[in-house]
Amino acid sequence: MNKSTSQRLPPLKRNWWLKHRFFKLYMLREATVLPLVFFILCFLAGMVALLQGAESWQGWIAFMGSPIVLLLNLLALAASLFHAATFFVLFPRVMPLRIAGHSLPDKAIVAGQWAGVVAVALLFFWLLGRGGV
Amino acid sequence: MSTEQISTNVISTQSASTKHISVKRYLPDNSTETYWQEYDLPVDDSTSLLDALNHIKEQLDSTLSYRWSCRMAICGSCGVMVNGIPKLGCKTFLRDYEGDIRIEPLAHFPVQRDLVVDMEIFLEHLAAVKPYLIDDNPVKPYDPNAPETYQQTPEQLERYKQFANCINCGLCYSACPQFGLNPEFLGPAALTLAHRYNLDSRDNGKKQRMAELNRHDGVWSCTFVGFCSKVCPKHVDPAAAVNQGKVEAAKHTLIALFKG
Repeated sequence: MNKSTSQRLPPLKRNWWLKHRFFKLYMLREATVLPLVFFILCFLAGMVALLQGAESWQGWIAFMGSPIVLLLNLLALAASLFHAATFFVLFPRVMPLRIAGHSLPDKAIVAGQWAGVVAVALLFFWLLGRGGV
Repeated sequence: MSTEQISTNVISTQSASTKHISVKRYLPDNSTETYWQEYDLPVDDSTSLLDALNHIKEQLDSTLSYRWSCRMAICGSCGVMVNGIPKLGCKTFLRDYEGDIRIEPLAHFPVQRDLVVDMEIFLEHLAAVKPYLIDDNPVKPYDPNAPETYQQTPEQLERYKQFANCINCGLCYSACPQFGLNPEFLGPAALTLAHRYNLDSRDNGKKQRMAELNRHDGVWSCTFVGFCSKVCPKHVDPAAAVNQGKVEAAKHTLIALFKG
């Protein structure tokens, strides 16, 4: 077939991801970074406030307690859990683990990762609880 | 062995029902514009999309162009978009569709005519990753007393077997937005085949392939959208292979760094 009669396709439009549920879910996964950026900025501001002294620290505590900040940080928590859920499922496909020549079942790897999350969360609750006493 | 249903039927004209399908036409000899053409077909429970296209070609409209060969999901030539999703015509059954059935040529490839696309760039990407066994040792003459050349254990086979099932149908390229945005991206099937040969115990070509894999248009253009694996008719899971390739590429970079 004569190449010159080929129809060149226009490049993908910016809204390509709106065409399919699967792509929307992918963009949602990628968008979880936005509330997480907000959380990281809050966290960094807290560090700076801690260095600046007691007054600044109290100001930061008040800021973190305001409803809108609380809401955004709850959103960040939900976003990070959602991202973790998608990432944990992908992990065994990217890094299939083999022990003594046998590959570990995907479900075991996913469960292991959630166990890790629970362990880290418990460690922090314990540390924070101790700090409060 | 696969026991998946494949299309072998000739549609009887006394079928129970008819279905309406729209096909995106492109006839560059007549016009540079595409247009939708509607067809009504007799269908039964076993009518595949490929049967339907054959029925159109033979009974209704001989000007329709599309590719097909084996009718059993192994030649990989009858890929089309069905309602925006890349599918093999022979493995898609009209009984699974209610309402609109819109057939278009595979996305992200230049269209030559109707449902026929130009797959040149895909073939170039395949060739670029050297998808064949590369052996540093020169081929020895066959020695019946020591026929151990290329022996492989079942465990060694298992490591790459899944990735060897690719039929080069190109559905994953139509599913991949990164390939749609940048046709220079080597893409799912080529990167999967590269990984398949890198995993093969008989192969020594990993170093040569890494140069292609470990660059922006190689594995690093993949953002793990994962739709390639959803549409793959042979369950190859190209997204897994590409991302395992990232791990290998990262290792390769680190090792090269320490070697100086």
